[in-house]
Amino acid sequence: MLQENINAEEAKVYELLKQVPDPEVGVNIVDLGLIYKVSINTVGKTLDVDVTLSTPGCPVGDTIIQHIQTVLENNYIGYAVLVDLVWEPQWNPDMISEDGRAELNA
Amino acid sequence: MQVGLSTKNAPSVWVVVPHFLIGAVSFLIASVFLLFNYEDLLGYHINASVLAVLHLMVLGWVSMIIFGALYQLIPVVMQVKLYSEKLAMTTLACMVAGLFFLIAAFLGYKFQLTNNFIIGGSLVITAIVLFAFNTLKSALESKEKSISKYYIMASVGYLALTVLLGLFTVINLSYNILPVAHTELMKTHLVLGLVGWFLMLVIAVAAKLMPMFLIVHKTKENLLRWAFYLINAGILIIFVSVFVKQTPGYVDLFSFVLIFAGLIMFLLFNYDVFSHRMRRKLDIGMKLSAVGLIILVAAILSFAAAYFGSAALGLPAGRIEIISGLLLVYGFFTGLILGQTYKTLPFIIWLYYYQKLVGKQKVPLVADLYSDKLAAIHLFSFVLSLLLFLTGLLFSVKEVLFLAAAAMLFTSLVYGFNVYKMIFHKKIII
Repeated sequence: MLQENINAEEAKVYELLKQVPDPEVGVNIVDLGLIYKVSINTVGKTLDVDVTLSTPGCPVGDTIIQHIQTVLENNYIGYAVLVDLVWEPQWNPDMISEDGRAELNA
Repeated sequence: MQVGLSTKNAPSVWVVVPHFLIGAVSFLIASVFLLFNYEDLLGYHINASVLAVLHLMVLGWVSMIIFGALYQLIPVVMQVKLYSEKLAMTTLACMVAGLFFLIAAFLGYKFQLTNNFIIGGSLVITAIVLFAFNTLKSALESKEKSISKYYIMASVGYLALTVLLGLFTVINLSYNILPVAHTELMKTHLVLGLVGWFLMLVIAVAAKLMPMFLIVHKTKENLLRWAFYLINAGILIIFVSVFVKQTPGYVDLFSFVLIFAGLIMFLLFNYDVFSHRMRRKLDIGMKLSAVGLIILVAAILSFAAAYFGSAALGLPAGRIEIISGLLLVYGFFTGLILGQTYKTLPFIIWLYYYQKLVGKQKVPLVADLYSDKLAAIHLFSFVLSLLLFLTGLLFSVKEVLFLAAAAMLFTSLVYGFNVYKMIFHKKIII
């Protein structure tokens, strides 16, 4: 639902972020609906990602953020990668994609 | 630090993990004791060996794991750091030493104020006062206003009252300070410990973790609020009435009805969470927890039956009380702890070894740190053991009780092996 109006490069970032799982649930963070915004500036070489967590105080929050940072820095060399943890809008299970739901119960 | 993250508040692995190790060892020792003393369960009175097993279970097993798990959960539930890790380690040392003397006192088969009772009781009380201080201090620094936080604060307060009343009961037996029947003091000690401390804490943890693990967003928190008022009212009435001379019989009944009503609210909360869960497939940790919750229903029914007394049920005296206690401690609490171990311990270990490697190298999943098969095996032996205990106690068959105790020992061994596997995990780089 949050991947509307994105360009090809941003779509590529979303695909890359599918490599990052929530270690407890075992489903990737894109299909869990945890990525709220991806914004890439190829001229200024900046890459901004807004991510949320399923609950405040989530014990694996740091791990997820660090994983996103590493994946993006490895694939966008020379870019300034900024991962922001946001709480608005509050995450809810309706944000999980169809693929995510299927994976959850696989 | 980004707001809302708990990892930076997380306690050191060295604070949390020893509690799980000591808890698993206590469960194992208690199961060995039970195997050698299973016939005592059929006794007319609750005797010393049953009390030794009970205290090993509630202090060495259930409380120990709760201490460790709570140190890890405080940052998650309250979003603050644990007040003091040094205090947590001192608490652990006092608890282990105290437990050692206390069990020796019970096994001395003397219901007198022996030195072992004084030393053991004082050490356990010190441990609990330190734990209560550490937890409450953390809670007071937290700005969170979740229902879980209030349950934790209340349960820690009840824990302190439980041990103080326990020690007072033993002192009163020897010195008769207050003219109160020791059976009444014991009953209140039990209610404070089992309902005030354990149940309140279990509700606190379940309120946060069940929706988190099962992916449920909107929960019926009102049910938990009602449960909080009802259970607290019930416990406080029981506590006050023990010091009031000649309390009418209906006061006890009324307070138990309040507690049962609160527990039913808690069960309804869980039922709602389970039925609205996004994650339909339950992992082994949640299966064991669900079994624990089902046994809570059986324990409630059993305690309700205990009101009518064993004789009215056609059972030998004291039997229904043993069945109720067994269902609560060996069934509900143990089931829940067995399950929640798989939802907490592997995480701490995984974060310790792999947190800094994610994204840089391929790392194993959290679930790869323990054997799912072994966990499924001890789920089966645990349920089998409880069914055998019930059969043996209802029909007074010693041989069945022996098998039940053997199945529980097997459960503790298999569980212990899985805990060992997690704690002494060797780093895997795929």
